[in-house]
Amino acid sequence: MRVGRAVALVLLVAASAFGGAAGAWAEGDKELGEYLSSECVTCHQLSGKFDGIPVIVGLPEQTLVHALGEYRAKIRDNAVMRAIAVKFTDEEIAALAAYFNSITPETQ
Amino acid sequence: MTTINRRHFSTGMLAAGIIAMPGVLRAQAKPKVVVIGGGPGGATVAKYVARDSKGAIDVTMVEPLDKFVTCFHSNLYLGDFKTFDQITHPYKLSGYGVKHVRQMAAAIDRDKKQVRLADGSTLSYDRLVVAPGIDIKFDSVPGYSEAAAEIMPHGWKPGAQTRLVKKQLDALEDGATIVMLAPPNPYRCPPGPYERVSCMAHVLKTKGHTKSKIVVIDPKDKFSKMALFQEGWQKYYPGMVEWMDPKMHGGVKSIDPKAMTVTTDFETIKANMVNVIPAQMAGKIARDAGLANESGYCPIDGADMKSKIDPNIFVLGDAAIAGAMPKSAFSANSQAKVVALAVRGELSAARTFPARYANTCWSVIAKDDTVKVGGRYEPKDGAIAEVEGFVSKTGEDAGLRAQTAEENLGWYAGIVADIFA
Repeated sequence: MRVGRAVALVLLVAASAFGGAAGAWAEGDKELGEYLSSECVTCHQLSGKFDGIPVIVGLPEQTLVHALGEYRAKIRDNAVMRAIAVKFTDEEIAALAAYFNSITPETQ
Repeated sequence: MTTINRRHFSTGMLAAGIIAMPGVLRAQAKPKVVVIGGGPGGATVAKYVARDSKGAIDVTMVEPLDKFVTCFHSNLYLGDFKTFDQITHPYKLSGYGVKHVRQMAAAIDRDKKQVRLADGSTLSYDRLVVAPGIDIKFDSVPGYSEAAAEIMPHGWKPGAQTRLVKKQLDALEDGATIVMLAPPNPYRCPPGPYERVSCMAHVLKTKGHTKSKIVVIDPKDKFSKMALFQEGWQKYYPGMVEWMDPKMHGGVKSIDPKAMTVTTDFETIKANMVNVIPAQMAGKIARDAGLANESGYCPIDGADMKSKIDPNIFVLGDAAIAGAMPKSAFSANSQAKVVALAVRGELSAARTFPARYANTCWSVIAKDDTVKVGGRYEPKDGAIAEVEGFVSKTGEDAGLRAQTAEENLGWYAGIVADIFA
């Protein structure tokens, strides 16, 4: 497990609160995720380099599912990310999380 | 799966001894994509098609430059927030298999599906991607010309013009008058002129030139992020910026580069520096190929950025009529990914997904004070419609503005890595 049981439980509860984001825990479609990710890498560098925008490659899937769920639910406060996430389905969030989890950062 | 099937199909034909048939040879040749233009739209398409097709598609990018100066963040260069080197990026796309032909594309022969280069040679294509950016409509301002732009620069195409604006700005003395002629819609980078005003005012103020003045003569009665810019000008540069809508100037009647004057319907203004940002249109090669309509820009299908005039051609970036999306590097980069997937879908049967587009335009108002506008877009009725939008608010606290400033710098680092590296 990439996250502790307690953290995972919190995330699961949190995800459930966003209108069924828990469904996104099903294995994500990496190919779909790769296509969708092309939108993300305009700002979040695929290399994993940090220049002011958070690094999202190599993240545990649950972390990204949780974060995108919060942006979609307008809980997290960044207008760009809210606009990006608002139309994501659970399947798309799972796909993105699976894809970014599969990428190893080149630099840290 | 399709690749495997094709390989099996070819092997079968080899065994049948029919490889010499011309039709088979054609079927085995790699499909060819030619991309005209190496800006945020063109370079991104070239990279993504080459990288994601893993050698199955032959990709040639026609772009005379070996390194690209970005128009985005050129205002930060004018404002001393960045150096010229920091907005200059060499192409590093050969590692993905992109062939970079360093020439101008001279013409497109749509019947033969060929691009003629400046040296007379030709490139054949199965799909053509046209991303030439904008051309300046010099005759949209009475008295303006390409020659006049050496005295009154537009600075709306990256490179020498950007440097000229900077050189002139830096040479001014306190009490100088800068006149900016803002462009009519639609044009590259809607908040750009006003960010430029902010960055120029920042330079003047930093030098203590608070008696200097920037007069903006605008053909529009409102502009992108207007309330945010006006609030910022009042806060940081009081008395230094005067913005005039059409009712206040009645239209520009003429400009005189020798006398350094701008004459409106109401007055003649003598300036120390004039920044003329004229009306714009799609790059010449797109217009010459008949890809533009009467607006001067190119109609496309919002589902995949395919030209409405030629099904073998995609047009993207500033040259395209992209519905609700503004002409910006972010938009071009976003459209490029839709185009790349559509091209791969047509030429290599890659799995495709519905188009989705995004844009954000950040604008620097002052040091550590940046604002943004943006949205998400989807195809609708053949065009592109906004499905979600946002804009910074007036009166935001300094912490949020500083965070947005950092986000702007982070986005730039991200997008140039995505385009050029």
